[in-house]
Amino acid sequence: MKQITLTPKKFSSIALEFDELILDEIYNWDKADFDKYMVPIGNSRFPLNDYFNIEVKGSAQGPEDVKMVIDGDAGRVKYIGCKMSAGEIIVNGDADLQAGAEMTGGSLTINGNAESYAGREMRGGELTIKGNVKEYAGTSYIGEWRGMSGGVINIHGNAGKQLADAMSGGEIYVKGNCDILAGIHMTKGYIQIDGDVTRWPGGQMKNGTIVINGKLGRLLEGFESEGIVADPEVDGRQLTGRYIKYKGDIGVNGKGTLLLNAEKNRSLL
Amino acid sequence: MGYEEPVTDYDKIVENCTCAFCGSNCDDLDCLVKDNHVVAVRHACRLGASKIMEDEDQRLKVPMMRNENGELVEVEWETALDAAAELIANSVRPLFYGWSETSIEAMKPGLELTELVGAVIDNQATICHGPTVQAVQNVGYPLMTLGEVKNRADMVVYTGSNPMNAHPRHLSRYTTFPKGWFRKRGRYDRTLVTWDPKYSDTAKLSDIWIPFEENGDYEFVNAIRAVLKGKKLKKDVIAGIPTEDIYELTEKMKNTQFGALFFGLGLTHTLSKQRNIDIAIQLVQDLNKYTKWVLLPMRGHFNVNGFNIFMSYEMGFPYGVDFCRGYPRYMIGETTTIDLLNRKEADVFLVIAADPGAHFPSGANMHLVDIPVIQIDIHWGPTTELADIVLPGTFIGVETAGTSYRMDSVPLNMKKAIDPPETCREDEWIVTELLNRVKKIKEASK
Repeated sequence: MKQITLTPKKFSSIALEFDELILDEIYNWDKADFDKYMVPIGNSRFPLNDYFNIEVKGSAQGPEDVKMVIDGDAGRVKYIGCKMSAGEIIVNGDADLQAGAEMTGGSLTINGNAESYAGREMRGGELTIKGNVKEYAGTSYIGEWRGMSGGVINIHGNAGKQLADAMSGGEIYVKGNCDILAGIHMTKGYIQIDGDVTRWPGGQMKNGTIVINGKLGRLLEGFESEGIVADPEVDGRQLTGRYIKYKGDIGVNGKGTLLLNAEKNRSLL
Repeated sequence: MGYEEPVTDYDKIVENCTCAFCGSNCDDLDCLVKDNHVVAVRHACRLGASKIMEDEDQRLKVPMMRNENGELVEVEWETALDAAAELIANSVRPLFYGWSETSIEAMKPGLELTELVGAVIDNQATICHGPTVQAVQNVGYPLMTLGEVKNRADMVVYTGSNPMNAHPRHLSRYTTFPKGWFRKRGRYDRTLVTWDPKYSDTAKLSDIWIPFEENGDYEFVNAIRAVLKGKKLKKDVIAGIPTEDIYELTEKMKNTQFGALFFGLGLTHTLSKQRNIDIAIQLVQDLNKYTKWVLLPMRGHFNVNGFNIFMSYEMGFPYGVDFCRGYPRYMIGETTTIDLLNRKEADVFLVIAADPGAHFPSGANMHLVDIPVIQIDIHWGPTTELADIVLPGTFIGVETAGTSYRMDSVPLNMKKAIDPPETCREDEWIVTELLNRVKKIKEASK
């Protein structure tokens, strides 16, 4: 087992780009390799060790044997865990844009907040954000019809606008609240939001399931109620309590499922 | 507004000039010229005429740089260009913004300079119709030309825009009032509809005004789409509109012969942003199962669309294109101007033919105070107060000919009517000079 520890020592207002520091590529790097690595910042490259104290312990046969810890704030480090397929990354602070984007395996844990596009087009693995996440988590690239298609995103705080835009697989669990248009254009997958939702979940969704355990601000007219269901089971997940079940979005001939906690949304009954 | 005597004292008329104000690009203007000044403009709206007729007191005429006391002082062209090139060549996160009020010809060396130094190039779409461009990338573009609307449309819908104030000739030249091939009686053959929370001047002219509540656009359009799919609406009022009005409007839209939907920033910058446009485009696609419908954004600057078309053609991305890694990247929120400034990433800001000082959010402008700003423009404005180097350009469509794209993506040649001041230089020349000087600096540093 190999552990790489990067401890921030200098702040750069221009974001550092970590898309080359994929565990698949660097699992066999030693301290000297990290010391000579030049990290992209803007249109230039600067020594990584100008910005981090670097510690490398142990050895690895592959990326699955590597644990990378960014021990501090990475609020100006983009693409952490981007395209990773195995191994473990832990960020003991905030993470900048595109954390876990296009990851296919392994686990990325952010013990702070994450900027927008966390888990963009994720295809596998597990992304956990202990704080809040900004907009477009688990979303698609602009113009792309397939967003997150596999893996799991756990958000312990709140999620911003357009969570899981064009989601086509995988699971997202939000313990806090969620802003507008969660699951817009969704075609497959599962979203569970334990907190409140401002408005319009599932806009233009064609399939998949959204469960809202909190209160919903506004529901779109494109959803048709199918009545109350008790303790529903969704693809092997057992929910407890009474839910109002909707189908939609009718505007796109959608057959998606929206389950709203009946007790918290009595006004819709 | 009092009566103004017609101008009769002029030397010549330059006919069929193209207006350099809004995205309507009216190309039927006659400029009346006396002693190399435009003294009157025929056929233009007040906005266009006031821009074209020179306001000499605000005109930037000489290159300037800030001295040690922070004052802008006149310098030689060579000095200003060298200083600007040095700043650009040595920056780590340069940002080149604007381009919507200059010609395609000036954009070409601008793009080459961007690639050379690994900068971000962006235009005003980033703060106006950027969400439209994103939605078009998602769900397509049921586009038409304004000529088609003039000749065919019998229902015209404006939403989130007020052309009577912002595009004053749009209704009279293209959409509502003109007599067309199939609309011989002009206005009498058309139904004008406005969807807008505000009772705007355009709403006052309209046959139907739909005042949905603010931020209610997505919900309102979603309800129309549900009705088109045969759903019976459950609520009595949706987004502030009584359900029976939604049924009636949907029927009218289905039964028109040729409908045109025009939308502005009222749609792109409310709560659902690009998703408002996304669902509006899909509504138009739904309506095309019944009859002919088209859609067009009301673009603001006369060449804002031109920049997006030029960039899409050259680089595959419409705006906010980042070359810092040597190849083009595009990610809204990451490679777009406001985000780069709010995050304090940009370290040199080149602004051409735009006035961010007047339009950007305060956080973004605060960062402009802290970094070198190079301005290429024709008028003194709030951005000049932020600028460290000022390079006076020429007025495209009045002092310099050039190419622009109308809001419906029709390219137009903009004529030259008068000569520019001797001390000013064409935008294309300035950007090319910067490119050549940066090339020399880069070669010398090798």
